[in-house]
Amino acid sequence: MASAQDGDQAAYGELLSDLFPVLRRFVMRRWPNAHDAEDVVQEILVSIHTVRQTYDRGRPFIPWLMTIAARRVADAARTRYARANETAVDVLPETFHGDGAKSDQEARDDREALRQALAILPVGQRQAIELIKIQGLSLNEASRVTGKSVGSLKVGIHRAVKAMRRALEGNG
Amino acid sequence: MLNEALIKTLTQNCAPIRPLAHPAKRALVWFTVSLCYVAIVVAFMGIRPDFLSKVADPQFATEVAAAFLTSVVAAAGAFSAGCPARPIWERFAAGIFLFVWVGALAVGCWRDVDAFGVSGLLSHSDIDCLPTILAISIPAALLILSMVKRGAPIAPFVTIGLAALASTALAAGALRLSFRQDAAVSVCIWQFGSVILLTGIASLFGRVLLHWTMRDELIASFQAHRR
Repeated sequence: MASAQDGDQAAYGELLSDLFPVLRRFVMRRWPNAHDAEDVVQEILVSIHTVRQTYDRGRPFIPWLMTIAARRVADAARTRYARANETAVDVLPETFHGDGAKSDQEARDDREALRQALAILPVGQRQAIELIKIQGLSLNEASRVTGKSVGSLKVGIHRAVKAMRRALEGNG
Repeated sequence: MLNEALIKTLTQNCAPIRPLAHPAKRALVWFTVSLCYVAIVVAFMGIRPDFLSKVADPQFATEVAAAFLTSVVAAAGAFSAGCPARPIWERFAAGIFLFVWVGALAVGCWRDVDAFGVSGLLSHSDIDCLPTILAISIPAALLILSMVKRGAPIAPFVTIGLAALASTALAAGALRLSFRQDAAVSVCIWQFGSVILLTGIASLFGRVLLHWTMRDELIASFQAHRR
């Protein structure tokens, strides 16, 4: 960690890689029912990164690490517990456009039609739809993933939606 | 795969960083700067006319010294609470001087009873102490807040509580050098009481003022990419 404070990237990378299994075991022992132990370990790693200036070179590393880990596990448990206690909103009323109001066959047909409409799109437009509309990434995140500008992604989505609408109307 | 990407990103963002100085050293820096500010405030409000004779009074000198020592040791405790795995006693060391401060106030009350009887304990309302202590302590509180934010938010309530105690104790000490309020019970209720009240209220905002926001945004971004 002292090397990491000096900016030694190789030593820091090695340290974080070594810490990952240790922290995973720690999280699983502290919180055996955690379904998202990996997420908690990632939270701990990012926390270690952001407060690495608090490590005192004259003091042992493991107690420093474990104090942060224990704190983050407790934070994660509290957040998950609060989320679990949230009251679910009522299911929105079904409409004729919703899958719930259709027969299984009709829902399957819709999905197949969408798949076909998606398949005819150019690669760039299809990627924009998959990242933003299906995976739910923000425009900025999708921009980082694809290397395209936000403006170009917006145009791509606009054209893709128009093309898919045309294709679906043609099928209908 | 994502874990490797996360480690890679963190490694790439590993710029050289200066480790935080020892909590006691940071506390002394904060106290020195804040004391300069408080000296200006006291000079502006005017030093009490009987200052020289009061300083010679052991009860008064102990009370003011205990207030200032509580301030600097509470500041050290706040900085220590932001450094993971530092000894727990450092967080509570200010309690010794807080105890001495209460003791000095108790001696003052006893002296008042001795001199004026039980009527010496009757306190008149001095509600102005609360906003005055609050106003004097705000700049020192903002400075210490910016300093504790560089630490880890592992004990936010304790950290903010100690930071508030440090700022308000400093302001209360300054008030004794300026205001001619010597009825021990009034000092106890309105000045010491204001310090405890403001410290308690501030500590309730611990998690609001100290949190892992930046880190959470980064984590959320990674987890969104995985999904």
